[in-house]
Amino acid sequence: MGDASAYADRVVVVTGARKGLGQVLANHFLAGGARVVGISRGETSIAHPEYSHYEADVGEDAAIREVFIQIARTLGKVDIVVNNAAVLTSMHAMLMPATRAEEMIRTNVLGVLYVSREAAKLMRKAKWGRIINIGSMASTLEPVGDSMYAASKAASLTLTGVLAKEFASYGVTVNTLAVTAFETDMLEQLPREKVDAVIAGLPLPRYPTTEDITNVVDFFASPRSSYITAQTLYLGGVHG
Amino acid sequence: MLTSDAIDAIIFRALAALNAERADDARIEASPATPLFGVDSEIDSLEFVSVITDVETSLNVDHGLSIALADDRALSRAQSPYDTVATLRDYILELLEAR
Repeated sequence: MGDASAYADRVVVVTGARKGLGQVLANHFLAGGARVVGISRGETSIAHPEYSHYEADVGEDAAIREVFIQIARTLGKVDIVVNNAAVLTSMHAMLMPATRAEEMIRTNVLGVLYVSREAAKLMRKAKWGRIINIGSMASTLEPVGDSMYAASKAASLTLTGVLAKEFASYGVTVNTLAVTAFETDMLEQLPREKVDAVIAGLPLPRYPTTEDITNVVDFFASPRSSYITAQTLYLGGVHG
Repeated sequence: MLTSDAIDAIIFRALAALNAERADDARIEASPATPLFGVDSEIDSLEFVSVITDVETSLNVDHGLSIALADDRALSRAQSPYDTVATLRDYILELLEAR
């Protein structure tokens, strides 16, 4: 968007804000004049007067409830949420440990529910809100080794659809931006040649830029997008 | 700790917020016996969510009480704590005493 006041007076919550795409998006909203609340399991990596940070696991119900109570007390509202926090273990299904499988469901699915639920409670009174879930090309490409990650991201898409219906009467939209492989710590866990091969097979065979991602986030977050909900937008020509 | 009357007042405020969006002839009478949930209730499912959320938010934010009204205990009871204003108030008192 590049507008220093595009998000003036907005309170934006970004999960997984300590690094990777979450950090990029938190800084994007700060550059647009928003007050940004980051949530991640680790300490903050962003120093900005309009940024506050909570160390919490999105998959822990009680912790997320408490974070949003504190947000309500200190900031009084939430306008935009980006559910970005996610974990990935890439491993053949025959070798997948239960703990890693459960962690992906807890963070990538339940985390979206808990954060969206608490945010919607605050958005409800203002009858306005934007919930943007960060999805993955894995949910539709179903790469070998990503059984539970792809399944968790697919579950998140279904969750998006139902939440969109349940929150619609409150003026809250819920959409998913399904990204292609972005340069993050998560990507480093995967064999690079495997990811390169997937990217090479896309209609637009390149890795996404930051602008490719913020462009769609801005679109979903815009007041002009009030008639757009329950949608998944895939980057790079991937389609569901 | 909040008194019964104070909790009733919180629930009545939530019902008043609901009534503010209803037609004059469709307003819900607020009393301890007012049904909130079930076949006797005039409150639809979306309105019920609003009432519970308003009450929970007031307890959390206005009174600094970190409690959740829709938890396992509430959902597993033979008699729902959401039946009436009085049963909801008693359930909130129970949650507060258990803290």
